[in-house]
Order: sequence, then C-alpha cells, then structure tokens
Amino acid sequence: MVAFALDAPFPFARPSRRQPDHPMNEAKFDALYRRTAGKVWSYLYRLTGDASIADDLLQKTFFRVLRSNPTVADDDHMRRYIYKTATNLAFDHFRETKRERAYAAASQRSDVRPETTELRHDMMRVFAELKPQERALLWLAHVEESNHDEIADALGVKSKSVRVLLFRARKRLGELLAKKGLAPEVAR
Amino acid sequence: MTSGCRFENDVLRAIESDSWSDSLREHVATCDECSAAKNAGAWMHSFAAIDDREHILPNPSIVWLKAQLLQQTRTVDRATRPMSMVQSAAYVLVATCWAMFLTAKWNTLAAWAKTLTTSRFVIDPPIASLSMTTVFVVMLLASATAMLALHTILAED
Repeated sequence: MVAFALDAPFPFARPSRRQPDHPMNEAKFDALYRRTAGKVWSYLYRLTGDASIADDLLQKTFFRVLRSNPTVADDDHMRRYIYKTATNLAFDHFRETKRERAYAAASQRSDVRPETTELRHDMMRVFAELKPQERALLWLAHVEESNHDEIADALGVKSKSVRVLLFRARKRLGELLAKKGLAPEVAR
Repeated sequence: MTSGCRFENDVLRAIESDSWSDSLREHVATCDECSAAKNAGAWMHSFAAIDDREHILPNPSIVWLKAQLLQQTRTVDRATRPMSMVQSAAYVLVATCWAMFLTAKWNTLAAWAKTLTTSRFVIDPPIASLSMTTVFVVMLLASATAMLALHTILAED
C-alpha cells in the first residue's frame, strides 16, 4: 500500500511567493525613519545643494525601502541599503536634470539664520565645485565614517577603487580650498 | 572608518579629537594620502557641523501613507495592464477592419452615396443598392466601435 502525503507540495506546483521574515509595519518604519532620515537628508542636501530636492529624494528613498521591504539582518545593513538607494537616486537626479551646474545657484537659495548663511554659502560653493561622486565619497568617508566597503556599496564601485577615488577627491578638495584661501591650518 | 593608509584611521580620529601625537604628525608630513585625508577631513567636519536642523523633515506618517498609496496605485496598474493591452488590441483590430472594409467596398459605397440626394428621397425612394452582407458588416463594425467607445468611457469613470 502506497501512502500519499496529502500535505506534500505538488511536484509541479508554483512555489509560493516568499514573504519577508520581518515585514515592515508603520511603527517599525517610524522608528527607522526617525533614526536615519536626518542624516540621510543632510547627505542628500550636501549632494544636491537644494533642500526641496533633498526632501523629494529622501521620500523616494524611503518609498523604495518600503517597496522592496528588504530582509536585513541588522541596522548596519539597513543603513547601507538606505545610503545606496539615496546615492542612486541622487545620481539619477543628476543624470535626468543635468543640473550639476545649477548646484551652486541652488545652494545660494538659503533660508537659514543670517549668521550661518555666509559661512554655509562659502562652504556649499566649494563643495559644489566637486563632482557628485566626489561629494558623496567625501561625505560618506568623513561624516558618515563609512569604510571602503560601505562606500563602494553605496556608490556602486569596486571596493579597491575607493582608495584611489577618495584620495583624488581629497586632493581636489584640498586644491579648491587652497585656491580659495580656505585651506584648514595644518596642525603640526 | 576608512581603510586606506594604515594610519588613516588614526589621522581621522586625531582630527575629531584634535590631539596629535608627534609620530602621527611626522607620518602626515611624509604621507600624501594622510595629508590629503587630514586637510579634507578637517574641512569636512566643519562643513558637516553647519546646523541643518532648522529644516523640518517630511513627517514619517505622511511618508508611510504616500508609500502605501503608491503601492496601491502600482498594484492597480499591474492588475489593469492586461485589460489595457486587450483594449489597445481591440482599437487596432476595429480600425483595421474599418480600413479593410472601406478599401474593399469604396466604389460600391461611393456609388450608393451618390444616389442619396434629397430629391431622390422626396420624389422617388432610393433603390437599395447595397448587399445584405455589406449592410451587416457596416452594422457589425459600427456596433463594435460604439461598444469600444462605451467601454473606454465607462472604464475611465
């Protein structure tokens, strides 16, 4: 007598769509957003030089995060995923609008307190002269303190290239600062 | 932290804490990579320190709600895509049938149209010069066109 296992899947049955292990609900999203959105916004703002574009890209970033609903092991993976998405969106934005040159103009539209405006303008103008990839590299390396693997992941480049790219970006920033007489004093 | 020159992380830490050992200073003086990291790092820290907090971020509840709406729209789009494709195919089919029919029967239709003068209607009733098949095809195509138009209007509503 052959015993049939009724609960066994039919051999040619289509596999059921696998649900994420930890689906995102509103409370989890709220917590994630409050933890990360500020820093991601600053990153996008420094990349684009425009607060409203940074707002748009920030929202798109989180839309994508919610849509893909990634099953991530920990906060670090999620952070990497968010920065990668934000960077891709910012670069897409530059490609679509070809507005790299408009960065400087955008950065001049400022609604901040007067005492910080001038300093910000100077710094934003210097930063605007860098390429988007250089901006992203410097921000991730120095402000987010990301390692080369994380930077490579966010920018979609090889990890080994990051060292060279970062060196070039730093040199270029140094040259720009020297040209504008803004180079920091060397503590020797 | 980054991982270029093996002293790079020490340099970055020294920038943050503003405490430089003599050996690190000597290294920075001789290492291009660390020197560049030092100059860029110091400036980037001041740049990052400019306060952006006065900017109000989009509310997380609104972002969540928008994401849900977008997801729903995407689901509806995905569900209605086959229907839209069938509808487009139907437009093409009906237009092609009309074109074929008019091309094939143009002379007959033109001759029949010429007989439709007012005087002919009043004085002498027109002689039916169209075959039953032609009339049937015209009615069929007209019905199909009307149904398609109605479907489009109702679907949009």
